[in-house]
Amino acid sequence: MGTGDLAKYPFLNEAGEYMRKSGFGWDELGRPDMKDVIERAAQRIEVGVAGDVYAGLDKYEIEILTFIVSLIMVKAIALEPVLKKYALAEARRAEKFLTDDLRKQSEPLKRSLFTKIFEDLFSLKIEMAESDTRLFKVKVTDYLARSSHFHEQEWKLINRLVSHGFVYLDADETVRLVRNELSILIHEKVRAMALPTLPTTIRDRAEELRARFAPRYEYRVLSANDLPPCVKHALDVMDKGENLPHSARLMLATYMLAVGKPVDEIVAMFQNAPDFNEKITRYQVEHLAGIKGSRTKYSVPSCEKLRNENLCFATQECAGIVNPIQFGRKRK
Amino acid sequence: MIENGILTKTSVLLRGAFKEYYFKSAKTLEEPKKIEQREFGYSHFGQPGMVRHLSFRNTGELIATLVKEVPSDVYCSNAYYRFPTSPMQDKEWTGADMIFDIDGKDLGLPCVPSHSHLLCATCGASSPGAELSGPYVCQSCGSRKYESSSIPCSRCVEGSKKEVVKLVDFLKNDLGIGPDNIGIYFSGNNGFHVHISDEAYVPLDPAARSDLVGYVRGAGLMAESLGVRKGDGSGTSIIKFPRGGIEYGWRSRMADELGINSTSTIKLRNIVDHAGGYSGFKMELDKKAREKGARIDPQVTTDIHRVFRMPGTLNSKSGLAKTKCSNLGSFDPFVDACLLGDSKTIVKVKSPVKIKLKGKAYNISKESAELPAFVAVYLVCKGLAEAA
Repeated sequence: MGTGDLAKYPFLNEAGEYMRKSGFGWDELGRPDMKDVIERAAQRIEVGVAGDVYAGLDKYEIEILTFIVSLIMVKAIALEPVLKKYALAEARRAEKFLTDDLRKQSEPLKRSLFTKIFEDLFSLKIEMAESDTRLFKVKVTDYLARSSHFHEQEWKLINRLVSHGFVYLDADETVRLVRNELSILIHEKVRAMALPTLPTTIRDRAEELRARFAPRYEYRVLSANDLPPCVKHALDVMDKGENLPHSARLMLATYMLAVGKPVDEIVAMFQNAPDFNEKITRYQVEHLAGIKGSRTKYSVPSCEKLRNENLCFATQECAGIVNPIQFGRKRK
Repeated sequence: MIENGILTKTSVLLRGAFKEYYFKSAKTLEEPKKIEQREFGYSHFGQPGMVRHLSFRNTGELIATLVKEVPSDVYCSNAYYRFPTSPMQDKEWTGADMIFDIDGKDLGLPCVPSHSHLLCATCGASSPGAELSGPYVCQSCGSRKYESSSIPCSRCVEGSKKEVVKLVDFLKNDLGIGPDNIGIYFSGNNGFHVHISDEAYVPLDPAARSDLVGYVRGAGLMAESLGVRKGDGSGTSIIKFPRGGIEYGWRSRMADELGINSTSTIKLRNIVDHAGGYSGFKMELDKKAREKGARIDPQVTTDIHRVFRMPGTLNSKSGLAKTKCSNLGSFDPFVDACLLGDSKTIVKVKSPVKIKLKGKAYNISKESAELPAFVAVYLVCKGLAEAA
């Protein structure tokens, strides 16, 4: 892989290595000629938060710097939704380049350089298919560990080309398989970052972005009127001491966890249930919170899922939402 | 098993036979890999529930417990835990072997009623045949509650074996699992367990296992995978073979079934039209795929915290042992898994019964019969006899 490629994949260790070798230090971020890079970084974040993909592809030195500065600024903005959106946008940007590079490279040696990215970053070994040069193959278990969380039926193993322990994928599909991991990788890079004392230029620009983004992500204080009708219905049933189906309990608990209710308060909500057992309920709520058991934090079921389970009691105020958690979000 | 005064004697009979087996069984018990990371559990004769959250450092320790406690059934987790004896939430799961379960009773075989008996759930009285012409009424005590007990026949065994063969074909040829990593076990009653010891499958979560389950069962195959898409108009379809071709996996399996290859666009068009367009073809494909799939129990394979009957231990539903099948084709559970002794045992037989064990046929019509222990235990476990 040439240094030019690092502009496309600035999250690679090689990019950081290149910056270190070139003798770049944090203090240089305050230099007046960095202003342009800081502005590019701010744009990169804005584009990402808007749900688009940053298209700039300048000299690799500038792109690597822009990426690093944007990471610093996202960290300084310190808003989780901004970080999430930015990380996903960066992942989608890299996905686009990676797909093109995998598709275009006709030389097996060059192709294998790109497949190395998968191995280094995601421990995913990709080989080229013997029978068809357009196809790549990954181990069934590596495939399943990733694809089983995709919802589309076409990603189910039965709808894939499977033979002797491998799943055969084209370039687009191969890259799609790691999109979430790319996003997590960038997310983690920012989370793990310890911020140095920032030059005023970066700090001020980050402050400005924060002031602009913050109101979008403020939630109203939770009151009974702000609860989505599905959750309200579940609470009503619970209040009457009637039996609430398992799926409705799951929705109620995951919703309350997502809006930040403490576990104790959530457990107390279930005390009217005819089969209430505090120990079991606590374990189940903690399990959903990712504190116990599988350590997976469960998300609130989507509106579509709730509709399928007859747990949806939509009102006009539900218009445009796809998950109960979006209900009552106030956009200023 | 029904617990009353008489059946306590029956429990004593079974415990005696099981104890003797475990006393002599050191060789037949297969030590599970990483035994110290597994959770064990067992049940007692005539008692509900299971003693769980146990751990053993080696088979010696386990056998000592089996001889002392003489459980009716012994289970071992497919999961590996850091703390196997802790409560479920504190065990710290680190992985689980993948196991498939093929149960003869789920196959809907037509022979089953002919070798089944109805057992009164209140007094245990037995009557042959499993088909009722009207509501069940026990002729001994008048109870209306009953259970069914089946003595699997050779057709049942062959039916289950056929599913194992289908499963193993998926495991070897599609998933690339080597034969050394596929262990086929007779479950001890009426089915087979297929254990996968390939380390790559150990970390998979329930969602990934569920996808694999769909694969081997032939569930969820899209018509699009074969190149048939929905057209714009109702019932219309578009034929365009997928970019990757149809040479591998389920695509190839169904292409063979339909008699097509990636050049047979016209033939596939005719097949789709004959089936009534996209929707009709989709339904037909789904039906064919499920027929080709292996009939495994989906719940079992996706459960990563389950305890499974331990290989080499006895099944209290039959007195037969869970036994590894080194040659599935020639494996005869009524010979190879019938490992109890032959000391003479007198039992009261509830209704006339025919069975074949260890290669010998027994046609028992007398109420009181002196039988080898392995036959007596089999009948008692099936609820068809009790201790005299």
